[in-house]
Amino acid sequence: MSITMQRLNLTHPLHFVIGLTLWCIWFVAVYGGHAVACSVAPPAPEQGIFTLVNAMLLVVSIAAIALLAALTVGCCRMAKRHEGRLRFNATVSAGLYLFSTLGVVFAAMPIMGIPPCL
Amino acid sequence: MRLIIQRLTQQRVNSLGTPLALSVGLLLAGCAGDKSILDPAGQAARDVVMIWWVMLGFGTVVLVLVTAFWLYTFKRKEVIRTPAEERTIARRWIIGGGIVLPVASITALLAFGVPTGQRLLPLPLAEPPEVIEVIGHQWWWEVRYPGAEGGEVVTSNQLIMPAGEPIDFHVTGADVIHAFWVPRLGGKIDMIPGRVNKIRLEADEPAVFGAQCAEFCGAQHAQMQLYVEAVERDEYDAWLAARQTEALSSLAANDQQHETAREAFMTHCASCHRVAGLSSGEEGPDLSDLGSRTSLGAGIMAMEEGAVTHWLKHHQRLKPGNKMPPHDDIETATLESLGAWLETLTP
Amino acid sequence: MTTINREATPEGDNIKGPNQLHNDLHDIWGNPRGLKALTIVNHTTLGLRFMVTGMVFFLIGGLLAMLVRTQLALPDQDFMSPDIYSQVTTMHGTVMMFLFAIPMLEGLAIYMIPKMIGARDLVCPRLTSLGYWCYLFGGIILSFSLVLEMAPDSGWFMYTPLSSSEYSPGLGSDFWLLGITFVEISALSAGVELVVSILRTRTQGMALHKMPLFAWYILAMALMIVVGFPPLILGSILLELERAVGMPFFEVAGGGDPILWQHLFWLFGHPEVYIIFLPAAGIVSTLIPVFAGRPIVGYGWVVFAITVTGFISFGLWVHHMFTVGIPQLAQAFFSAASMLVAVPTAIQVFVWLATLWLGKPKMKLPMLWIVGFLIIFVCGGLTGVMLALVPFNWQVHDTHFVVAHMHYVLVGGMFFPLIAGLYYWLPLFSGRMPSETLGKWGFWLTFSGFNGTFLIMHWTGLLGMPRRVYSYETGMGWDIFNLLSSMSSFIMSAGIAMVLLDFALHFRFGKPAKHNPWNADTLEWANSMPPSAYNFVSLPKIETRHPLWDDPDLPRTMAEGQHSLAVATHGRREMWGTDPLTGKVREIIHLPGNSWWPLFAAMALAVVCVSLLTRLYPLAGIAVVVAGLFLLRWSWENGAHPKAAPDAEVAPGDPPLHSRTMDGPGLWAMSITLLANGSFFLSYLFGWFYLWTVSPEWRMPETSPLSLVGLILAGVALTAGVVILEKLVRGLRQGKDAGLAVGMYSISALGFVQVAVTLWVLLSADLAVTETSHDAIIMVGLAYALLHGGLGAVLTLLQGLRVGYGYVGAHAPFEPAVVAQWWRYNLVTFWILVGALAVLPRVIGS
Repeated sequence: MSITMQRLNLTHPLHFVIGLTLWCIWFVAVYGGHAVACSVAPPAPEQGIFTLVNAMLLVVSIAAIALLAALTVGCCRMAKRHEGRLRFNATVSAGLYLFSTLGVVFAAMPIMGIPPCL
Repeated sequence: MRLIIQRLTQQRVNSLGTPLALSVGLLLAGCAGDKSILDPAGQAARDVVMIWWVMLGFGTVVLVLVTAFWLYTFKRKEVIRTPAEERTIARRWIIGGGIVLPVASITALLAFGVPTGQRLLPLPLAEPPEVIEVIGHQWWWEVRYPGAEGGEVVTSNQLIMPAGEPIDFHVTGADVIHAFWVPRLGGKIDMIPGRVNKIRLEADEPAVFGAQCAEFCGAQHAQMQLYVEAVERDEYDAWLAARQTEALSSLAANDQQHETAREAFMTHCASCHRVAGLSSGEEGPDLSDLGSRTSLGAGIMAMEEGAVTHWLKHHQRLKPGNKMPPHDDIETATLESLGAWLETLTP
Repeated sequence: MTTINREATPEGDNIKGPNQLHNDLHDIWGNPRGLKALTIVNHTTLGLRFMVTGMVFFLIGGLLAMLVRTQLALPDQDFMSPDIYSQVTTMHGTVMMFLFAIPMLEGLAIYMIPKMIGARDLVCPRLTSLGYWCYLFGGIILSFSLVLEMAPDSGWFMYTPLSSSEYSPGLGSDFWLLGITFVEISALSAGVELVVSILRTRTQGMALHKMPLFAWYILAMALMIVVGFPPLILGSILLELERAVGMPFFEVAGGGDPILWQHLFWLFGHPEVYIIFLPAAGIVSTLIPVFAGRPIVGYGWVVFAITVTGFISFGLWVHHMFTVGIPQLAQAFFSAASMLVAVPTAIQVFVWLATLWLGKPKMKLPMLWIVGFLIIFVCGGLTGVMLALVPFNWQVHDTHFVVAHMHYVLVGGMFFPLIAGLYYWLPLFSGRMPSETLGKWGFWLTFSGFNGTFLIMHWTGLLGMPRRVYSYETGMGWDIFNLLSSMSSFIMSAGIAMVLLDFALHFRFGKPAKHNPWNADTLEWANSMPPSAYNFVSLPKIETRHPLWDDPDLPRTMAEGQHSLAVATHGRREMWGTDPLTGKVREIIHLPGNSWWPLFAAMALAVVCVSLLTRLYPLAGIAVVVAGLFLLRWSWENGAHPKAAPDAEVAPGDPPLHSRTMDGPGLWAMSITLLANGSFFLSYLFGWFYLWTVSPEWRMPETSPLSLVGLILAGVALTAGVVILEKLVRGLRQGKDAGLAVGMYSISALGFVQVAVTLWVLLSADLAVTETSHDAIIMVGLAYALLHGGLGAVLTLLQGLRVGYGYVGAHAPFEPAVVAQWWRYNLVTFWILVGALAVLPRVIGS
């Protein structure tokens, strides 16, 4: 795990954009997957929220949350180890990963409360 | 269960409704109006107005506080602080105002908002609600009642609905995108060619509402009004029965004195307009019960004696660009007889 | 950190005083007069041209707004006929968005960025010029439609089918689609060069975390333009094809879907709001520290907020479409995302507040406009959060409430900071100070007029007044509010007139400004006032975020040539190319001088635009070829070409010229261009899959009409070309150029093979492009591949020729590396196209 984190070079400003890019990809995957699922195999409205569609969306979201949370922690650790420019990069990246994580949590909440295709 | 709750709340409103509405109406004289969102007449609209007032109050507090703090910084005396103190103060502002405040607000908003939205969804009910189809045309409304006993009923530019029960509106557009919106009952939904959108609305009690196309649909978008009236259930059933094709046919045919008008209608109008029993044109509005409507030209003028003739003569001036060709080639006398006859179509 | 510092006083006989240095630099950089002024590529001049042109369009847009308010002042007015009213409202939105807001802010960025980051010009000066001419010509063509009374009239977001040929048979929609696409060339070119300039041409030592915040904001804006505009360009092309040729992309009967247009439009349209807001917020973040007399608190927080805004704004587009009948769960995603964007905005507001709190703020004229911005923008932001709530949105969507919200966000979030910024930078533009009295009157009239107009309009909307109605009847309770709005709008225009008058008068009557009049911290104030064409006599090494606060002597020492690159004897326009992260010097960038080619290319493109409008397709075809030739001729003057840098000698100890390296800024420019191209390509794929899965009457043949064998053959030719090209580039990296010309010619031949085979596949597929959207969209995909393959082949052919001329080779190895990027991009997109259009339908079936 820590070796992977080292390879990721978490003090590089490229990480400013990776977290939110992952957020965007998650968003497109969930929105697109949901649209396709609803046009190909819409579950009966009577099922409420307990449908395969909701379950799949939730699984994808939890995976995204786990990944982003791990990267947040990694950046935080990196920030403590460095000074100056590299610390700045790692701190801002950590904030952005954290925001992306919470962004997924927040935007995924409706999956647990709304039936999919109505 | 949901239905029972709705019925209960609505009874409470019914008993309190009139005096309450009156006093509130007087209190907020600026809120009333046929199309006012702030004067709700159905549960969906009422929920939204509730949310609006809460949001307005909260928003005003935030705006005033933020502005006051900003302006205060120009007035206050300078305080000498160490860098560490400065960092603490800055962090307090940024985390408190920049993160805690918006996150708390949007979480609360979403928690209130999502359940409200679900009320407008056409979820399956124990007793399937009545379906009314509304189709937008440039620039008029076609309204169909597929569930009417004895066969489908069609009318135009007026929407009569039963009060006190949920109605599912199935809407679509015939040419461009329009939007169906009865502000006092609840949200709007787009009428898109090739798709059928559904929205569930309910009127608390009998009343007349204004409605207007809400998606820009061309030059006469402003003159695409819909008269909406909620009536008691039995009145509604009678209204539907009177518009069955058989009943209407006798109405159109019975009358001997309008023979010439009927002939003129068949020559000039029938290919576009339907009059039950006479013609089946679908380009323009159905005219089978024209005399009983409250207005002409999708709300352009009130229906009164001679109004139809006036409309037939001057419709391109009254509603420039409407899709009915000008009638310059038809003699005035013919137009007058046509107008007189159409006004008699009152089931 | 090793530093490469070239002092301006080398030994020997050419010791020069500051005046001599100025004259030398002026000889190289100075602007020509007369007709030749049309060839100017300098960012200072072009930035001003952008801003002045933007102001002219602002006046046109404002006039249209006054017409609208006059019509709506009273019920049942017939001041304008319904169709004229539709043209006026459509053009008001279009002009303000596309011809004022974006170009104006681009102009400010073009003017300001090199000065703030210690550079002498933008990195692609000829592109600046092309962008300006495209903007000017596109704007003129679009505005001319008003004079002809043929202006677009389907609303500024041009929803189909209302904007399609059946319901808008005139030329209005064509004016919009063609004119706007033309103007967007300018936005994209500015976007690309701003990104590259900010990342690669900052002065020595200006690491990413020492960059002025304004540069961060502009970097985000430029990247958003690059990613956000292509969806609309694609949409416009598809809609124009539907109108002109009858390809049914948005027509239900032909298997298209009008909602696809809405997706493509708002995929652009929502980010655009932030494209406008971010630079304006950048002005706020620049001014507040200056007037508070202390550094901004939470620099990192602001960078965080900028980045978040830039990304999240691409996940909001559906909140403009909550009423189209999308499933509620999908709406909830967008509702949540829309609310999330409140967080970075709130962070910025409170960073600004904390900065004021910890500083000693002074209420000078620019600050007055900043406070006005705060009140209006916070109000607009709050109604924005309300609108993100789906049930509330369903009620007020498309009413005057939304009109009010939108003006609060755009006028508050863009116009007020813009005026603040213009007042702040006026002394730099002209060397003179504006009049405080006139400025204060202007502010209070504008501020009160604005709130009178639009605060009331929220209420009108809540009373049920839909937007875009040309008339309303009395008795709805709307009359008095509309009258008040109209009256206030005239107060607002009086205020704006006063501000513009102040601007105009100050050039003649303003008091001369002292140097750095606001005691600012950023490098633009180290310029002379008004600035010279080359900005700085010498380029300093920067150690802090606040160079002028930490070294108040810096402007003087820079002007005396005590820092780097203060040499002009070589006759080149030179500045530093630095490392994007650390700001270490990597190479000397030599910039091209004034040129006719951008103007000629833009003129040819204008001919394309007008001939498409008038349906003279043969002429359009010829003009496209001519424009292409002009652009290729332009690209000819690079590298070791006599007009670029035939002589690569640099002073001892200096880094090499960028054209003599393998990673000059051109690589970045190509990458960013390909990013835009990739966004276009992804939008296309989105369109293909969207129509396939969602379109109500989609029809797909049993088997794909495309020959898989043919496509694979074409793909193999393309792949072989890329393999050879990579090998050649590897060789150049090691200093070897044996067989370079022959290699380039053979790659070009492979490219032409790919084009020929793809063309054969297209023709043999026998597509009925006017019958089904399936065939039509396949046609567009293959046309995309053909265009890219063809251009790749031509570029490598030219490279072969340039090797022969000696402009490219081991001594100047840069260009093949740039061309290789194009080929790699072709390779990836071509195989994706084959997979999406030919393989997937065979696997899944219809």
